[in-house]
Amino acid sequence: MDQFLSAVFAGTSRGAIYALVALGLVLVWRGAGVINFAQMGQAMFSTYVASTLIMNEYSYWIAFFVALSVGTILGAIVDLLVMRPLSGKRSSAMLASPAMRGTIPVIASLGIVGILQAAAGMIWAAEERGFPTPVNSLGLTIGGNVMPFTAFDLFVIGIVMVVLLITTIFFQKTGMGLAMRASALNPEVARLSGIRTSSVRTLSWAISGAASSLAGLLVTPSANLSPNTLDLILIIGFTATVIGGLDSLPGGVIGGFILGLVISFVNVYRSPSDIFLAILVLLLIVLLVRPQGLLGSKEVRRV
Amino acid sequence: MLKIENLVTEYGAVRALDGISFTAAEGKITTVIGANGAGKSTLLRTISGLERAKSGQITWADKSLIGKAPEAIVRSGIAHVPEGHAVISQLTVAENIEMGALFRRRQNRSDVKLAIEEVYELFPRLAERSKQLAGTLSGGERQMLAISRALVSRPKLLLLDEPSLGLAPLVVEQIIQTVNDLCRKNGLTVLLVEQNANTALAVADYGVLLSLGKVVANLPAAELKADASLRAAYLGY
Repeated sequence: MDQFLSAVFAGTSRGAIYALVALGLVLVWRGAGVINFAQMGQAMFSTYVASTLIMNEYSYWIAFFVALSVGTILGAIVDLLVMRPLSGKRSSAMLASPAMRGTIPVIASLGIVGILQAAAGMIWAAEERGFPTPVNSLGLTIGGNVMPFTAFDLFVIGIVMVVLLITTIFFQKTGMGLAMRASALNPEVARLSGIRTSSVRTLSWAISGAASSLAGLLVTPSANLSPNTLDLILIIGFTATVIGGLDSLPGGVIGGFILGLVISFVNVYRSPSDIFLAILVLLLIVLLVRPQGLLGSKEVRRV
Repeated sequence: MLKIENLVTEYGAVRALDGISFTAAEGKITTVIGANGAGKSTLLRTISGLERAKSGQITWADKSLIGKAPEAIVRSGIAHVPEGHAVISQLTVAENIEMGALFRRRQNRSDVKLAIEEVYELFPRLAERSKQLAGTLSGGERQMLAISRALVSRPKLLLLDEPSLGLAPLVVEQIIQTVNDLCRKNGLTVLLVEQNANTALAVADYGVLLSLGKVVANLPAAELKADASLRAAYLGY
């Protein structure tokens, strides 16, 4: 029973992080039509900033909020400096074709990962370093009994729930949220309604950057920090969005939690070496039964 | 007054507008008619900034619109209802309407509220369905919604592209009458693009007849309607 509960808690806490990564990916996909492979590269960078602050004796929370700001700004910079100029280029028929327009930003995002990883290696040296948690990550003890979860698990689950709640309220209840949904669904009608769709797109990149930098902060304590530790998290997050539906925010989040739980249960009841087999099988089943993902809409393009 | 001079718009090698000039008088309905491919939709899309003019001039209230983005042109009081009942079907009716006033919600909260109440009064069926997704509406209701979305921006000039497309005659009549009332009672200037020339000329003050990207006639609507030779040559009836 304890084993089961600990798998549930560890899986939910892991899943919460994948949900954040998926949220970031879906936001940029819907807002800009780009799969941002640089997302966790950006998160790695902001986590290094946090790590450096902590090593210089700043408190965890100062480092935490600085990292979120760096992630947000980095997201906006990627759009303003790379993606926006690229989307304006129509210099040849080949560049203007829909297939190339979809592909060029993705290749650019791979270039950005390269730049960020090289820069991180140069600035912080490439050796792995640990990253602290703000609360204890040993099994919580209540009334003398060791619980099947840690304080850090609860912290992760709690903070992600708050983020998801704020995101939902933002999209459903605010004018800016409506502008973002309208721009993603039908940019032409949105522009005719007076919505500045290019600013809205930059905002999608910024929010996505914030979500992924948070994911970086939450996942690094269990993975150590090096310029490419977060690559794997990106792959799992991307799998989560495909399972949940690339164009659905709730879908990506649900996909993240499902993957977290599957990984955790395989880890506890089978062996850690079966984890990737399990992910692959799950992905194949979803793609065969429901290729658009659990909550995705039918016409979405596959990458 | 909307003034268009020698307007040229091209899609690649195709010249969709080939030197168009006319003016749309304030507080009047000007209809742009012509066969398929005459350039009617391109004309509206160029005015609202969705397409870039190759050359020529568009002047609205003594200011040039050339080179301005659609989101800036809406702010100068021009609302475009594009062809095909352009609403966002995955948003609710209320959200579609609210979207049209988002850009001025901060400056003028009370007027936005009033404008939304007004369109619900104009189209009570939308009020009944405000919580429904726009995709569940009928074609006529969707057209009403698209017009409402434009009206809450408080336009001075309404660009209306084929509102009758695919709708039952009774619904067309209702929509055209509403537009007519808006013009006569509120002084809204209307540029109405129609393939259905009879319907359009019945309410319009002026008619501009387009053929292959050129203006072939620019007359008071009644005269255009009475000219049998123009009708036979360009409208085919």
